[in-house]
Amino acid sequence: MNSTQAAIENVDLDKLNDADKGELRQFLNTQQQRSQIQSQTHQLTQVCWTKCFTGNVSGSKLDKTEEGCLANCVNRFMDLNLLTVKHLNSMRH
Amino acid sequence: MDSASVKQAVMQQVSSEANMANVRLLIEENCFQKCVPKPGSSLSSSEQSCATSCMEKYMAAWNKVNSSYIDRLRQEQGVQM
Repeated sequence: MNSTQAAIENVDLDKLNDADKGELRQFLNTQQQRSQIQSQTHQLTQVCWTKCFTGNVSGSKLDKTEEGCLANCVNRFMDLNLLTVKHLNSMRH
Repeated sequence: MDSASVKQAVMQQVSSEANMANVRLLIEENCFQKCVPKPGSSLSSSEQSCATSCMEKYMAAWNKVNSSYIDRLRQEQGVQM
């Protein structure tokens, strides 16, 4: 992150015209969204890896059971996520 | 530098900083746990081949989790809007 900031400081942002500014803004929004999804994927993969791969590593590809386990893991995590939000909200009232 | 090259420079910087650096740490941690339960005086060939499969598997798992997560996000947005 620091290296980005340093490098961007050397670039003269005032030189951007309005069209390029708009395009850059759009680009940064997309990148930010992508970055959030990637961080969440890192966290979820960590959680679901320990749940779905309990034995020894067998082969380098995912089998059907493992794929199903990962999909369920993500979806149940999201269920719990929504449930938690709902419950915390209800506790405030 | 004109406007277009300033724009290019910023885009390039931001893209190269993408979050993927973290994945190496996660792979090392998880595959070390799985493949080297009792560290010996060197990395044995079975530990090495386990580690290689494990890395590929972790990346495959990452991709599967990513696509399931994105599907679910789309689904939630469809319900809410």
